[in-house]
Amino acid sequence: MSAWGLTVAEWQAVRLSLQVALTAVVVSLPFGVALGWLLARRPFRGQSLVETLLNLPLVMPPVVTGYVLLLTFGRRGWIGRYLDEWFGLQIAFTWKGVALASAVMAFPLMVQAIRVAFSSADARLAQAARTLGAGRLDAFFTVTLPLARHGIVAGCVLAFARSLGEFGATLMISGSIPGRTRTIPLEIYNLLESPDGAAGAQRLVILSILIAAAALYASRLFERRAGRAAG
Amino acid sequence: MSRIRVECRHRYADGFDLHAAFESGDGVTALFGPSGSGKTTTLHILAGLLRPTAGRVLLGERVLLDTAAGLFVPPERRRIGLVFQDHLLFPHLSVRANLRYGLVRRPGRRIDLERAVEILELRQVLDRHPHTLSGGERQRAALGRAILRGPELLLLDEPLTALDEPLKERILSYLERVLAEWRIPTLFVSHDQADVRRLAEHVVVLEAGRVVDAGPTAATLDRAVILEMKSPPGPVNLLRVDGVQQVEGHWEGRVRGQRIQLPALAGAPDSAVFVQFLPSDVTLTCDTVAGLSVRNQLTGCVRDVILLPGRAFVAVDVGQLLWAEVTPEALRELGLRVDSLVTCLVKTSAMRILR
Repeated sequence: MSAWGLTVAEWQAVRLSLQVALTAVVVSLPFGVALGWLLARRPFRGQSLVETLLNLPLVMPPVVTGYVLLLTFGRRGWIGRYLDEWFGLQIAFTWKGVALASAVMAFPLMVQAIRVAFSSADARLAQAARTLGAGRLDAFFTVTLPLARHGIVAGCVLAFARSLGEFGATLMISGSIPGRTRTIPLEIYNLLESPDGAAGAQRLVILSILIAAAALYASRLFERRAGRAAG
Repeated sequence: MSRIRVECRHRYADGFDLHAAFESGDGVTALFGPSGSGKTTTLHILAGLLRPTAGRVLLGERVLLDTAAGLFVPPERRRIGLVFQDHLLFPHLSVRANLRYGLVRRPGRRIDLERAVEILELRQVLDRHPHTLSGGERQRAALGRAILRGPELLLLDEPLTALDEPLKERILSYLERVLAEWRIPTLFVSHDQADVRRLAEHVVVLEAGRVVDAGPTAATLDRAVILEMKSPPGPVNLLRVDGVQQVEGHWEGRVRGQRIQLPALAGAPDSAVFVQFLPSDVTLTCDTVAGLSVRNQLTGCVRDVILLPGRAFVAVDVGQLLWAEVTPEALRELGLRVDSLVTCLVKTSAMRILR
């Protein structure tokens, strides 16, 4: 037993979950901002195809998503093979695989929130910035991005929370290796499967609910602020 | 002084075809025409926010756009300030940060922020955010922001539209102060003849995407081409009235020596005001009439008669030029022609006062 009545294994799961969720959000954020902006501001040919691919993880069974990721990034996968060969980088059955699965599953939610934020900010404000001497990038970083910041933060919180709950895809690509790839949901499942695990599972369940509630509350707070700034 | 020279064609997806070809004057030039005539589009082409289908834009000797040569100077390098109709202040920045946005991006000599704040009376609102400002304060802040960029040409998109009369007067006086202080060549878009007459020395008339006339303001606005335009804008009379004073409970003044009774004036009047009324509010008669309820009788010489289908316009020189709208039948019966002597009757209640 250690702090807060959690066992070492349980703490490992909590720490891993937070590490994975944070990594997933940080790594996918630049792509999320770019894609959200593109979808909101620059209609392009093939947009509906991109949107379909983007939202696929939302509607596919997570296990299927995980299996596709395994086929792609596994040691013999068509991308994973070269990552291993050239960079010695292994994705499958490591915490990086968990982060990848989380990022892919959470990405549609993040892009959607960011896209709405860009759509609701007046595009002509960036034009006004241009007439005041700001170049394209300057106008983006000093006007467009700050105007969308609340929506972007809300999208991050949403993606973070979604990552914490990832189960099916994670199990497929990275298994459930104690201390390495066993996140909170996997640990809960593991505890429930083992004798005398019920108490530990309960502790993690309560902790999960608290983390989820905190994330949701934070997101609501940012959305309210975004609404005020727009109105 | 940098004049702007434009020769552009732009075709919209919906088929609207703009053909803007004109040159601005040295001081204030108005781009005048009814809504939908392509005025705002023209401003956006000048500012570089819209790339026209074909054409050239020159500011002084500098080429800003030449589609034939594949040349396009982006908006941030044009040194053209644009005040949008709805201001477009940055909502996430304070008024001070809004004003400084263009200032810090300006190479070379800077316009003094303090001076602009003083002239536009923005000191009280510097630390507030745009959504807490009144319409007039927003207008002033947007004007200040554009000027602090140090533009070689200032574009104003309908700066006076949708403002009530007292506010419009205040904005006009700020605008006049700004133009006097920095002498920036200005092109402003308007569909209101009274505003154009007050502010602009030079006017370019746009209708349905074509430049139909251009020249010095008074002469151009009095030409037939304006009268033929479907209202709005149509013709408007604007008379300068001097020696305004209160006599036996009502206000009156003089137009070149002829007495004219004014509507009630609020507050202490200046010695001169402008009165505005429509040509259709003017009745013409060939005799001086006694015993009439209409108090204002201005006599003058007919300078021009323009016949249009179903209506006619008569220009009368009563010391200033005044337009009257009559039916072609009435014109015939009165036997009016150029150089006839005629009296114009104008009801005081039809007049609108502009200070």
